[in-house]
Amino acid sequence: MLEVSDLTKKYGKTLAADHIGFTVPDGRIGILLGPNGAGKSTVIKSIAGLLRYKGSIRIQRQDARSLEAKRCFAYVPELPYMYDALTVREHIEFITRAYGVDVTEAEVECLFERFELTDKQEKLGNELSKGMMQKVSICCALVIKPKVILLDEPMVGLDPAAIKELKEVILELKAEGCTVLISTHMLEMVKELWDVTFVMDKGHIVGTYARETVADEDLETLYFSVTGQGAGSGRTQEPVNSGSVQEREEKGMAGGGDAGQAMARAEGVGQKDGKDRI
Amino acid sequence: MGAMGYLYLRMLRNRVRMALRKPVTYIYLLLLLFYMTAVPMSLRMTVDMMGADSAKGLVTVLTVFAFWTIPANLIAYSKRKGLVYRNSDVHFLFPAPVSPKQVLVYAHIRTLAMQLVMNLFVIVCGKVLFHAEGWRLAVYFVFSIFIENVMEGGIMLLLYGSERMGEKQRGLVVKAAYGLVGILVFMGILAYFRGGLSFQTVADYLHSDMLQLVPVIGWYIAVLHLLFLEVTVVSAAGTVCYILLVAMIVAAAWRMKCTGDFYEDVMKFAEDYEEVLESRRQGNTQRRLGRKQKFGKARVNWQGHGARALFYRQLLEYKKSRYFIFDGSTVVAVLAGAGVAYLYIREGDFGGLERYAPFILPIMSAYVIFIFTALNGKWAKELLSPYTYLIPDSVFNKLINATAMQHIQSLVNACLIALPGAIAMGLSPLVTVLAIVFHVFFSANKLYALAVAEAVCGSTLGRFGKQLLQMLIQGMAAMAAVIGGVLGMAVGGIVQAYVLMDVFLILFTIVFMVIAMLNFYNMETA
Repeated sequence: MLEVSDLTKKYGKTLAADHIGFTVPDGRIGILLGPNGAGKSTVIKSIAGLLRYKGSIRIQRQDARSLEAKRCFAYVPELPYMYDALTVREHIEFITRAYGVDVTEAEVECLFERFELTDKQEKLGNELSKGMMQKVSICCALVIKPKVILLDEPMVGLDPAAIKELKEVILELKAEGCTVLISTHMLEMVKELWDVTFVMDKGHIVGTYARETVADEDLETLYFSVTGQGAGSGRTQEPVNSGSVQEREEKGMAGGGDAGQAMARAEGVGQKDGKDRI
Repeated sequence: MGAMGYLYLRMLRNRVRMALRKPVTYIYLLLLLFYMTAVPMSLRMTVDMMGADSAKGLVTVLTVFAFWTIPANLIAYSKRKGLVYRNSDVHFLFPAPVSPKQVLVYAHIRTLAMQLVMNLFVIVCGKVLFHAEGWRLAVYFVFSIFIENVMEGGIMLLLYGSERMGEKQRGLVVKAAYGLVGILVFMGILAYFRGGLSFQTVADYLHSDMLQLVPVIGWYIAVLHLLFLEVTVVSAAGTVCYILLVAMIVAAAWRMKCTGDFYEDVMKFAEDYEEVLESRRQGNTQRRLGRKQKFGKARVNWQGHGARALFYRQLLEYKKSRYFIFDGSTVVAVLAGAGVAYLYIREGDFGGLERYAPFILPIMSAYVIFIFTALNGKWAKELLSPYTYLIPDSVFNKLINATAMQHIQSLVNACLIALPGAIAMGLSPLVTVLAIVFHVFFSANKLYALAVAEAVCGSTLGRFGKQLLQMLIQGMAAMAAVIGGVLGMAVGGIVQAYVLMDVFLILFTIVFMVIAMLNFYNMETA
């Protein structure tokens, strides 16, 4: 489970994330959406432990900064960066040592096969194309057998076969009870994956949708309805939270980014109606 | 072995293996060996003349070095800018379940190889120049590698890792470092007023008891005195203070809570570092670490069309740059020019070879261009841009316009190198101009030699193989110029030698340029 509550991050005087809160329970796939500059990267980097922040982030009920939390958390950044003097195989070796996981040779081989890296194992980091780097980055994240995984624009640079494979892997992770959070602009790519979507804009979560409650509503339509972007997009589904904090308070809704916290209270999405309805 | 140990050793092993496969490594190793032995040897006479050829001289040098390094390190660590991480560390290491303290220590250990080389250099200098006793040098080596590193590592851990210490507190450390420098300067001024300006005053100041009482820097200097000179009450007390300080810092660093707050700062620094590396690879030497390259406002009057746009775009870039076309190579040119003039005035006949003294100018030019000029010139940078291929103009125009600014830059450098030496040697204006022409064409030769190397080997030899080939190709041109010089001296004199040198070099440069154009034409039409 991934719990973000009251996350606030400032860069100088710029408020990049303002009291963000959401929860992605075990075995669910969360999608973080938002236009450029909405604050998604800030949230993601905060969860990955790369930024200082105010508030709380918990992974499997542990503080995200603790080594216990990090042991079960995997992160695939938007831009993969390899160690130029390590081979693909050595990246995996380093990761297994760092995370203290027991991985069999067969498991690694299987992973490489799925992402067509078998013949690239001895290639150095600086000899890989961007797409290959992304595949290695994904393999490094998967090899630790995470309980929570954070994927930032994971499809970028991947070939269609790898995208298909990644989608299957994500669904497998979900089936195994892993918490998945994906940040992406590629709505088409995640439309069959998502369970809950958080739409961010200007440092706030302006909408939270659960698949169960929006029926056949298209993710793209939902996104444009809440962000106001895109021509001719009409508001078709009222999210749990939208508008300013003040407006939400006036509506008697959970404040700030509390939609997700409401989810946490509901112990799973789509189980309650009224103001906690997702 | 832990993950960090594995990462460090595997990277080191792979890097060494990769380096050994690159022929250019051996050239750099030879240069390093040359400098590590030639510098102490060449300084020997100067040190002897100054009467500094004793362990006291070594302590003086190390003291001056400490004046610079200790405050600089304190300031850099306080600003969280001293440690270099790569983006790959941000990707894999920072989110991993590895103690942030270990992550800090790992970055510190990565600098160990360079420290070993530096310390070996000190040992060689200590023996050759300052005749220090072997066992004292051995103890210093151990002290420097272990105790000094533990001290520096501890300070680094505290300043980077401490989460109780905010930005304000770290700012106080910066102020304290400047305060220490202030104390040292103040004591120096006092020494000046007491003894006047002389070498003796400086030596007395650097070896004074008072200096050894200054916290941190002074205590370190006391250790040096204890190691290399006699044991005095002050040096013993300073050494005890230093050891106690090390113990306190290590204990504080050990107990300190650190959850990785510093990752944000070092991540920004890592991004900056990668940007600088990329800029350097593309031949931009103006980009500095820790400082975003500032571009001012500038305008150019765009004239002409087609490939002229390349020239004006480069001109606009230079005009927006803080130092226009001047960069590190300009500084090197100034130093080289001044060095030649100084050497001539001081040494005069170059050991009976005065007749050949004017040739020191082309030799210096060749050396500076070989070693200090960016390997990838503007042309190589332009080749990376797809717009270069799309511009509807001839290959010749593109090549000329894309490299024109670089030729202007090398003309400026040529003047800076040639003029001081030419004036000192009393060379005629014609020879001076020929020396400048040599520099400009040798520089252009290097630029086009890369294109020739590219045409010959493509990407089969890799980047370093290509660079080695470039050096070999340029070596041919240099050889031709040498032959021209020898022939000229045989048939006439200096002027004829310079003319033939330049003619041969220009011919080779034109041939290389044509090959570069053909290569580019093939790239465009392929």
